[in-house]
Amino acid sequence: MSILAHRDYHAHQTFDAEVVVVGTGAGGAVAGAELAEAGRDVLFVEEGGYHPTSSLNPYLTESIPRLYRDAGATMIMGRPPIPYAEGRCVGGSTLVNGGMTWRAPERVLKEWQDLTGQPDLGSKALAPFFDRVEERIHAKPQHPVSVGEDSRLLEEGARRLGWRYEHNRRAQDRCVGSNQCLTGCPTGAKQSTLLSYMPRALSFGARCLTQVRVHELWIERGRCVGVIGKAVNPRTRRCDIDVRVRSKVVVISCGAVQTPYLLLRHRLGRRNSQLGKNFLCHPNAKVVAIYPFDLHAWQGVSQGGQIREFLEEGVVMAENAVPPGTAAAQIPVLGEEALEMMRHYNRMAMTGVLVEDSHAGTVTRGFDAPLARYSINAYDHERFLRGVRLLATLHFEMGAKQVVLPFSNMHIANSVDDLRQIEQTQRSRSTIELFTVHLMGTCRMGSDRRSSVVNLRGELWDLPGCYVADASLFPTAVGVNPQVTIMALATMVAQRVEVPN
Amino acid sequence: MVTSPVLQRHPDDSWTLAAPRTVNPRTQRVLLALADAIMPASPRTETTLEDVTRHALVCLQYMPRSSVMAFVAGMRLLNWAPLWRLRGLRLLTRLSRDEARRHLVAVTQSRWLPVRMLMYGPLGLFMSTYFDQDCAHRAIDYDPVPFVEERIELRRKWLEGEEPGADQEIHHLPVVPP
Repeated sequence: MSILAHRDYHAHQTFDAEVVVVGTGAGGAVAGAELAEAGRDVLFVEEGGYHPTSSLNPYLTESIPRLYRDAGATMIMGRPPIPYAEGRCVGGSTLVNGGMTWRAPERVLKEWQDLTGQPDLGSKALAPFFDRVEERIHAKPQHPVSVGEDSRLLEEGARRLGWRYEHNRRAQDRCVGSNQCLTGCPTGAKQSTLLSYMPRALSFGARCLTQVRVHELWIERGRCVGVIGKAVNPRTRRCDIDVRVRSKVVVISCGAVQTPYLLLRHRLGRRNSQLGKNFLCHPNAKVVAIYPFDLHAWQGVSQGGQIREFLEEGVVMAENAVPPGTAAAQIPVLGEEALEMMRHYNRMAMTGVLVEDSHAGTVTRGFDAPLARYSINAYDHERFLRGVRLLATLHFEMGAKQVVLPFSNMHIANSVDDLRQIEQTQRSRSTIELFTVHLMGTCRMGSDRRSSVVNLRGELWDLPGCYVADASLFPTAVGVNPQVTIMALATMVAQRVEVPN
Repeated sequence: MVTSPVLQRHPDDSWTLAAPRTVNPRTQRVLLALADAIMPASPRTETTLEDVTRHALVCLQYMPRSSVMAFVAGMRLLNWAPLWRLRGLRLLTRLSRDEARRHLVAVTQSRWLPVRMLMYGPLGLFMSTYFDQDCAHRAIDYDPVPFVEERIELRRKWLEGEEPGADQEIHHLPVVPP
């Protein structure tokens, strides 16, 4: 059997493998599949469960607990606090994201190259990895049959205002626009790692332990030789069976919050204090427009394209239709007032402003979970205000009768004139409401051990045999959806892993 | 149209939902009072309030212990809102739904971030659960299953070689708005 679950484990069980990969998302599945294809005996360890396409449905009450970390109740502390979401299942966040496949922009890769002083992270060196990844996840534009009214509306609005709008290339094979990206694609079109890299890895002999949470690394004589975890009982949620995996090499791919949390347990990275620093998160602000006509934004691809007119300023705008439960949770009204607003759900265009971080936060070990800290600075705040005003202006240009703004003291704008108050009323960073799904940068890659956590092979400076392959490698924010950049770096790391004889 | 069992609730895929977290009766009362005040009073079925609070207790099982403790402590503080807001001497659990809601609205719109943060968890949890119920879906005219079934069928035909045409595109607007 290739995929094991809680019911398959026995007390104090130890597995053996050449390479153990912790995590099956954009980093882990890719690194594991590449290593399996190269002939290595690979064992994945995944905290979440295995949920095949046939089990996915559009109901949040079932999808959120089983597919998302902590049932979606994850928060970055700071000013303002920022809720974030990440996947916890086979496929990781690729199962519940929009599947956008934007490469890291040239200027970002140039910055990475300059920061590391080596060509490895430059656009020329990474191009073959991007090509390889994009072929495997079928990165391509949407067919017209999948595009919904909200995407067309945003595109038309951008055209009228003379802004650059670019259609998304997504990881999809014949996407028909069911718009269930957030709860897992039930059509099988989205090429999450559940459907792309994991089957590939399994076909090359890899195995996968699901419902196992890794608590610590297994270290012998200064070298990482495996991982130690516990199986999570799906009914009681208790960690009740010890599971160990002994291996020659360990690849950690738990994401930019969980990876440093695991490594900090062993007090690694103390020499330069970089581990857990440089936490980046691409905060987003929601702008929901209510139109006087039905859009049915929940029909059609979740995001057809992006307004990239302001990309050089680090601001991207896009639509992203979410299910009514998610929309209602973001509208700060209660009771009948909430229902009245949600009665306009079919007339809503749900859009957002993403701002590329200009500074960073930290991830440390909390009481029994990671503690992420991040506050936006004045420059980012100013870009948010400008981005929200511009996006709301677009909606009024397209005929919206009301726009719900992401400010706790100014929820509604009824006209363009109302938007002029934004700069006057939003002086404090505490009043803006943000969220994020892009977490990056806590184990930055570099060529100098004084300023980075891992070397250009992805191996920890402080712990031979332990590699990192996920978004925590990013030296700076990418400014776009990070999925293919994570996958490209994971491919690079997999090719550079040295397995001792 | 092919009716697919795939999209129904609780698919039989051997996935197990965690048992609801056990809490003491006082916390249970606070949970019920908060859910009742936050959710719209109608539409509801006889079991909506119970279903929503039960789901909240299930979700708590998936969170780390520190998050659960913070959530429960936050609920307790909200229960005392009339007192620390100096607007009354009775706890939320002793107030009518409308009175309790008035206090919670004030907390949600407070100018102080730490006060507003008390509502983040309950608002997100109860609203997302309520608006995932069939009765709420009907009230807002949202019915995803037939649409998704139609799309699954469309893709099945596409995989067999029948590329979709313009008549299968998604259109609801007669014209682009002026």
